[in-house]
Amino acid sequence: MEDGEGESSPAAETKGAEEKDDFGYRLFPDRNKKPQSFLVRSLFTFHNRCQVMLRMTLETNPYAQLLLEAMKQSGCTVFNDRHFSCENCDGCVSGGFDAATSQIVLCQNNIRQQSHMNRVVTHELIHAFDHCRAHVDWFKNVKHLACSEIRAANLSGDCTLMNEIARFKFGLKRHHQTCVRDRAIRSILAVRKVSKETAEKAVDEVFDACFNDLEPFGRIPHSKADARRAYKDFQNRDRYNANL
Amino acid sequence: QPPRACEDYWWEWKHCRGLRHAFHHYYAHGALPSCGRWREDYEACRAWERGGAASAQVPRGDRPGGGPGIQESRGQKYAPVWRLRKSPPPDWYLPLDQ
Repeated sequence: MEDGEGESSPAAETKGAEEKDDFGYRLFPDRNKKPQSFLVRSLFTFHNRCQVMLRMTLETNPYAQLLLEAMKQSGCTVFNDRHFSCENCDGCVSGGFDAATSQIVLCQNNIRQQSHMNRVVTHELIHAFDHCRAHVDWFKNVKHLACSEIRAANLSGDCTLMNEIARFKFGLKRHHQTCVRDRAIRSILAVRKVSKETAEKAVDEVFDACFNDLEPFGRIPHSKADARRAYKDFQNRDRYNANL
Repeated sequence: QPPRACEDYWWEWKHCRGLRHAFHHYYAHGALPSCGRWREDYEACRAWERGGAASAQVPRGDRPGGGPGIQESRGQKYAPVWRLRKSPPPDWYLPLDQ
């Protein structure tokens, strides 16, 4: 992947592996396996660390709180023990969204810092939010997948200047869009057996519409302060709509 | 009544004119932001509070697709990529073994 940093690969996976396309299932080998015993899990994996960091994110991070509130209003209340799963994953992937089970997978072996957990959770919650509010055909429609990837890269903080510099990707004018496009293409290629040209074409076709779809934030949050402001505006949205 | 408190429009205007926002706008969109609409909305809001006729206008910043800050979509409408649901996915709350 890029410079050893774990990358979110939000994949919609199916329980049954397709003949040609496993929909990214190979990256999450612990899906559908029998859960390990509590002792093995606690002593020999990073499961507990993952759970602690996840709870910290859900309770304190404004990006996640806004998304949780938005999903609740859409009818998809998120429960920690049902909709999140800390597992070991392959490669450099950091997490994924399993549409078949409506679960967000967090890669406990690849997420080591709280800031990374914040970003991954936000990214996957955006996929879950899209799944909740729209008929997203994760398996058969690459454009739908591309759209959700564009939105997740755009709104989760994946493409902040600091994160890009840490990846040794330098640029300033409109670099955010370059980053969003590139990360969307990489995520599609990681979880779908399509050619690079197909992925690029899908991303380019939906880019304008999906880059400008800022739900539920209403703005591109470049910092936690922006996210807090967006959260406050979201909570007041009923008043806005009533008064407009 | 205006969609938002007048202080919100003032805040959006001040925030829009700040260096940090200008930088992020340039980084995301390749151009410096235009903030005049928030100031106009603030003035209109204050005029409404004073009981003026300007209250009849919908604040430009709050119109769907218009204005910076809320929905920075440059006023353009795009064809939706997917169809919105009328109810949440039926299996959202199903236990995992189902």
